[in-house]
Amino acid sequence: MKLLVAVKQVAVLDEDFEIRADGRDVHADFLLRDLNEWDDYSLEEAMKIKEAGAAPVEVVVVCVGAAEADESLRKCLAKGADRAIRVWDEAIEGSDSIAVARLLAAVARREKPDMLFAGVQSSDHAFASTGIATAAFLDWPHAAVLTHLAYTAGGKSAVFRRELEGGELHEMQIECPAVLTIQLGINTPRYASLRSIKQAAAKPIEVLSLEDLNVAPGDVGERGSLSRVRRMYVPDKGRAEMIEGSVEEQAARLAQIIKELAGSAS
Amino acid sequence: MTRDPTAVTRVLFEDFAPAAIAVFYVIAFAAVTVFCFGVYVEVRKYRRGSAADVDGRLLARLQAMIGTVLSHRTIAHRDRAAGAAHRLIFYGFVLLFLGTATITLDYDILGPLFGVHFWQGAFYLWFSLVLDVAGVLLTGGLLYMMYRRGWLKPPKLDYARPDRQPGDPDYDRSGYRREDWAFLWTLLLIVATGYLLEAARLVWLEATPEVSAYRWWSPAGAALAAGLRAAGMSAASGAALRTGLWWFHGLLALLFIAVTPFTKVKHILTAAGSLMLRDPLAAQRLPRVPEQQQRAGAQYITDFSWKQLLSLDACTKCGRCHEVCPARAVGAPLSPRDVILSLREFANRTLESATLPAQAELDVHGKGPGQVAMETLWSCRTCMACVEVCPVAIEHVPVIVQMRRQLVEAGQMDPQLKKTLQTIHKTGNSFGEGRRKRATWTKALPFAVKDARKDPVDVLWFVGDYASFDPRNQRVTQGLAWLLQEAGVDFGILYEGESNAGNDVRRVGEEGLYEVLATSNIESLSAASFKTIVTTDPHSYNTIRNEYPDFGGRYEIEHYTTLLLRLLQEGRLRIAHPLGLRVTFHDPCHLGRFNKGYDAPREILRLLGCELIEMGRCRANSFCCGAGGGRIWMPDPVGLDRPAHNRMREAAAIPGLQVYVVSCPKDLTMFEDALKATGNEGRFVVRELIELVREARGQQQAEGAAGVAA
Amino acid sequence: MSGILVIAEHRRDEVRPVTLELVGAAQSARRVPEERVAVAVLGAEPERSVPSVSVAGVDEVLTVKLAAGEFDPDAYEAAVRALIEARKPSLVLLPHSIDSFGYAAAVAAKSNHGFATDVFRFGYQDGALVATRGGYGQKVSIEMDFPAREVVILTLRAGVFKPPGARASPSVTSFAAPPARARVVSRSFIEVSAADDVDMTTAEFILAIGRGVGEQANVERFRELAEAVGAVLGCSRPIADAGWLPKSRQIGQSGKTASACKLYLAMGISGAIQHLAGMKHVSTIVAVNADAGASIFTVAKYGIVGDIFEIADALHSHFAS
Repeated sequence: MKLLVAVKQVAVLDEDFEIRADGRDVHADFLLRDLNEWDDYSLEEAMKIKEAGAAPVEVVVVCVGAAEADESLRKCLAKGADRAIRVWDEAIEGSDSIAVARLLAAVARREKPDMLFAGVQSSDHAFASTGIATAAFLDWPHAAVLTHLAYTAGGKSAVFRRELEGGELHEMQIECPAVLTIQLGINTPRYASLRSIKQAAAKPIEVLSLEDLNVAPGDVGERGSLSRVRRMYVPDKGRAEMIEGSVEEQAARLAQIIKELAGSAS
Repeated sequence: MTRDPTAVTRVLFEDFAPAAIAVFYVIAFAAVTVFCFGVYVEVRKYRRGSAADVDGRLLARLQAMIGTVLSHRTIAHRDRAAGAAHRLIFYGFVLLFLGTATITLDYDILGPLFGVHFWQGAFYLWFSLVLDVAGVLLTGGLLYMMYRRGWLKPPKLDYARPDRQPGDPDYDRSGYRREDWAFLWTLLLIVATGYLLEAARLVWLEATPEVSAYRWWSPAGAALAAGLRAAGMSAASGAALRTGLWWFHGLLALLFIAVTPFTKVKHILTAAGSLMLRDPLAAQRLPRVPEQQQRAGAQYITDFSWKQLLSLDACTKCGRCHEVCPARAVGAPLSPRDVILSLREFANRTLESATLPAQAELDVHGKGPGQVAMETLWSCRTCMACVEVCPVAIEHVPVIVQMRRQLVEAGQMDPQLKKTLQTIHKTGNSFGEGRRKRATWTKALPFAVKDARKDPVDVLWFVGDYASFDPRNQRVTQGLAWLLQEAGVDFGILYEGESNAGNDVRRVGEEGLYEVLATSNIESLSAASFKTIVTTDPHSYNTIRNEYPDFGGRYEIEHYTTLLLRLLQEGRLRIAHPLGLRVTFHDPCHLGRFNKGYDAPREILRLLGCELIEMGRCRANSFCCGAGGGRIWMPDPVGLDRPAHNRMREAAAIPGLQVYVVSCPKDLTMFEDALKATGNEGRFVVRELIELVREARGQQQAEGAAGVAA
Repeated sequence: MSGILVIAEHRRDEVRPVTLELVGAAQSARRVPEERVAVAVLGAEPERSVPSVSVAGVDEVLTVKLAAGEFDPDAYEAAVRALIEARKPSLVLLPHSIDSFGYAAAVAAKSNHGFATDVFRFGYQDGALVATRGGYGQKVSIEMDFPAREVVILTLRAGVFKPPGARASPSVTSFAAPPARARVVSRSFIEVSAADDVDMTTAEFILAIGRGVGEQANVERFRELAEAVGAVLGCSRPIADAGWLPKSRQIGQSGKTASACKLYLAMGISGAIQHLAGMKHVSTIVAVNADAGASIFTVAKYGIVGDIFEIADALHSHFAS
C-alpha cells in the first residue's frame, strides 16, 4: 500500500520586504521558507492511516521545488514519511498551480499510489487548485476541503466529510484511488523534534527531472500555465481611524462607541 | 589501677555453652551473608543502568562526602530540629557500631591471630562510658523523631501524593509509614534491650569485683541495675534475664543488619554514595545526549545511569523537596519526591530479579504503578528548589528533563508549547517576530547602540527574548542602555545575530533545538570581538555560563547586577537622591539559587537607600515565579492557583511594602500580571532593579511610567 | 463577443446568494453592452432555481438537469465543460466557494482554459483580461493575465461584487449535460450542533475573540465582558478548533456570517481572510490588537493598538456588571 502526499514549501514575507526589479515578485532576500501549514495536516492524515493499518503502508512525500525545498521534505521524513521526492528543473520556474499539477500527476503515474493527498490550499498564495488539477490530469475521483476521513489503505472506497460555508458538514463517499485535499483541523499534526529532523537527513531525497517524468518543457513554466503574473504590488490598504491615548482614554472612547451604536442594536 | 588491667574487661560469651556460641556465630554469618546478598542485588540493579558521567577525583569526593556527613550540614539545612535529632541518632549509632566493631576486632581478629588484646583496662572503661552516652544520644534522637512523626505531624511527612488518585494501586502509602515506625521502634528496642542487658549483667555479676567496682563507667546501665536491685531482682534472675536479653538483643541486631539492604536502613550506604557522586551543577548544566545513544531521553528505567539509580535509593522520604516545590504548592500533579519514589519502586520491581524483564515492561512513562505521567513531568518549573534542599544530593531536575526529552521525541506536549518550539526554530525567538525586529527597542533611544557584529566592544550585551520583544521589558532594556551609555561603558549588541539562548528550550527537553540555538549563538559570539558578556536575562546567563562551554563557547559572563554594582561603587554612576523606599527583593531562580547571585542586587538596593525587608522564602529558598521549564509557553490549568500569585501573597504580607523588586524579564512579566490578579494593584508596585537605579538618578523611564517615590 | 457565462451555485435546493454577486460582476465585465450574460443553473430540478437568478443583467438562464440533486464534482465538471464547449464564452465566472474548490481547477486543467482563483477585481486592459488576487498571505496584490487563452475561468471572492437589485425576465433554455459516472456520492448533511442556543447570524452586537486571548483560561473574562457590554460572544477559527468555544460561535468562511451585525468588536483577531469573509461587511468594526500591522485594521472603522486584556478590563469598568 502506498500513499502519496504532495507538499509545498511556501514563502512568508519578511519585514520591510521589497518588490523585485521586474515588478513580478518579491525580492528573494525577503522570502522566508516553511512547510505549508495545510501539508502538516495532510501528512498527518497519511501517517494516521499508515499507523492504523495492519498491512505495511509506505508514505511518500513529493514536492515541486528548488533545492531549498529539501528542508521541508526533511521535516516530513522526520515525521515518519518513508520516502521523499523532489521535482525540479529550471524550466519549471514560473509555473502556476496547474503546471505543478501536471508534474505531480506524472509522479503519481510513476509511483502508482493508492491515494494522493494534498492540502486545500497553500498559506502563501492560496490558489486552492493544485490538488484538484492533479486529479484532473490523472482522471481520478477527487474531493476537496476534507475535515474527516474514514479510509483503510488499499480500500475501494472512502467516506469523508467536507466542511461547507457556515460550518455545516457534507458527508460523501468516493471511489478509490482518489485525490483528496485536506483541510485544517482534521487531526492534530505530530511534532517533529529537531533530533528527528537531523536524523532524517540520513534518508535520501530522490530528485527527479522533467526527463525522468516524461514531461516536456513546454508543459511547464509560463507556457504550461493557465495564467501569468503581470505585476505584483503592495496595495494601498484601507485604514481604520486609530484611537490613541492611554488605556483609560481608549477604553472610554470605545465604551462611548458601544453605547452609541449598541444602544440602537440591542 | 589497683587491679590487673587484663581483668578489667567484659568477658564475652560468659557462661555460654560452646554449642551456643557456635550457634551465635552461624547466625551472625548468616546475617552477614544475607546482608551481602542484599548489597549484591542492589549493586546488580544499579549496574543495569547506563553509564554515568562522574568526573574522577574520587578521593576529593570521598573527603567532601565525609565532611558533609560528619557536619550534617545538608540535614540541618533549613530544618534545625531534624538536623539536631539526626545528629544524635547518627553519632549515637556510629559510636555504637564502631564499638561493636572494636570488640570484634579484639575478640575475633587480633586476639586469635596475634594474641593481642586491647579491649581492657582504661581503654575498656572509657569505651564503656562513651558507648553508654552514645546510647543515650541515640535514644534521645529516636524519641524526638517519634514525637515528630506521631505528634507534630508535619505535612511533608504525610506522604500524600498529588500525582495519583485514591483507587490507584500505588496511591496508598501506609506501607512506607509502617516501615518508618518499624525502623524507629527496632532501633529503640535494640538500644533499650542493650541497656537492660547491661543492667541485668550488672545485677548478675554484682559479686564480681572487677565488674561491680567499675560499673558506674556505664552510668545508664548501672542506674538501671540499681533500679532492678531495688525492685528485688536476685543475681540468679539477673543471669536469666541477661541470657534471654542477650539472645533477643543479639538476634534483633543481626536481623537489623541482615535487612539493611532491603529496607530504609540502606540509606546509610546509599545516601553516602549519592553525596559522594553529587554534581554541584546538576540542574545548572544539564547532560548532553551522547552521540551514539539511540534514544534522546529516558524512556526505560535502564536509560537512567547507575548513579541515578543509586541516588533513587538514597531518598529517605524527608519531604523537603515536596515542601519547596512551587508546582506542588499550587496543586499541580507534581511532587519531586513522588517522581523519585515512583522510579525507585519501578526499579525495585523490575531490576531486582535474576533476569531482566522484556524491554516493553521497563517503560517508566504512563499512569501505571511506579510510572510517571506526562502531566507530572510537564508541571515542573526546573527551578531546582528540590535539588538545592535535598539532604542526600538527589538530582531531580536532570531526571525530569531526561524524561521530558522522551516526551518531546514522541510529540507529547501541550499544543501551545509545540507551536512555540516551532516558532523558536523558525524565527529564533519565542514571540514569532521577525529576526530583524529583535533590536527594534533601540530605535526609541536617541543614541546608537553599537553593533557588536561589526565593531569591537568591551562589553557584549546579550539581551534575550523577553527583554527584546516584550513591551513592558523593553522599557527596562532601554533603561539599562541609558545607564551603560551614561556610565561610559563601551557596549554593543548582536542585533539579528542573537537568538534565544536556549536555556528553557533545553529544560523543556528539546535538546536538538537547543543545540541549534547554542551553535548559532556561539557562532555569532565567536565572530564578535569583546572582553566580557553582560546579560539582563538570568536564564541566558545560566546557559551561557554553565552550558555553552560544553558546545565550544567559553565566555566570561556576568549578570547586569554585578556590573551595575561595580559602576555604582566606582562612582561611574551616581545616585541623585536615595529612594527611601520599603522594598522586598525576589531572587530569580536562575540568578540566585542556580548561580549564587544573591548579594549584588541587595547591595545595589542598599546603595539606592532602600529599606529591604526580606520575604520568608528568600535567597536560596526563593519561590519560583512559575515561568521556568517552559511553563511560560504552556497555559496554566484552569482552576489551579499559580506560583506567582502564591508569591505575591507572601509579599503582600509585608506591612508598608512599596516596591516588589525583580531582576529577571520573566519575573517582571509574571509578577506584573500577578499583582493585578491578586488584587494588590495600588498597594505596591513591581519594578525591575534597573528602573529603581534610574529613578534614584532622577530619571524617568520611557512611556511616562510614574516614579514610585512620588 | 462570445459572452459571459456565470455558473450558479446552489445547495440544498436553494441558489446561494453569492451567485447574484457573480451576476453583478458580470455586468462590469461586458466589453460591449450587447455582450450576453448567461447564468447556468445545475441540479436535479434546475427549473425551480430560475426565479432566483432572474435578475437585471441576466440575458439567459440555462437549466442543466443532472442526475444528482447535490454537488457532484464529476457531473458539474462534465456539465460546465460541455457548456463552455457549446457556448464558447470568453469569460466564465464561478464563486470561490467550497464547491468550486472541488471541481473548478479540474475544468480548467482538462480544457486548458485560462484560470485564476479568489479574484477580487478584474477588467480588460488593452483588450486583455486582467484579474487581481492576493498573494503572500494577502500582503500583496497580484495582477494575472491569460495570454492566448480564448476562454478564461475565474473564481470570484465572495462579498466583493455587488449583486444587482432589480428583477428581470431572461430567456430560459435547457441544456443537455453529458452523462458522467458518479464517482463521488452524496450521503448526508450534518449540522454542527449548537451547544448553546446562540445564533451568530442574528446577533446585532458581537464581541469576537481570536488567538490574542492566549489561553483557554482567559476566555472567561471575555465572556464576562461580552455580557457586561451586551454583546454576543463570537470567535475566529483557531479558538473553535481548539475547543475553547463551541463551533457555533465561530465567525468566518467556514463559520457563521455576522449577517445582522451592526457593531463588531474584534479583540485579538489578526484578520485572516477566512475570518474577514464572515464579518467585513459589518458597518462598524472596532478592532483591538497588539500588532499595528494586523490585517483587521484594514477593514475596521476604528482601531486600537494595545493589550486586549488591559482594554478589556478598562472597558468593563464602564458598564455595570
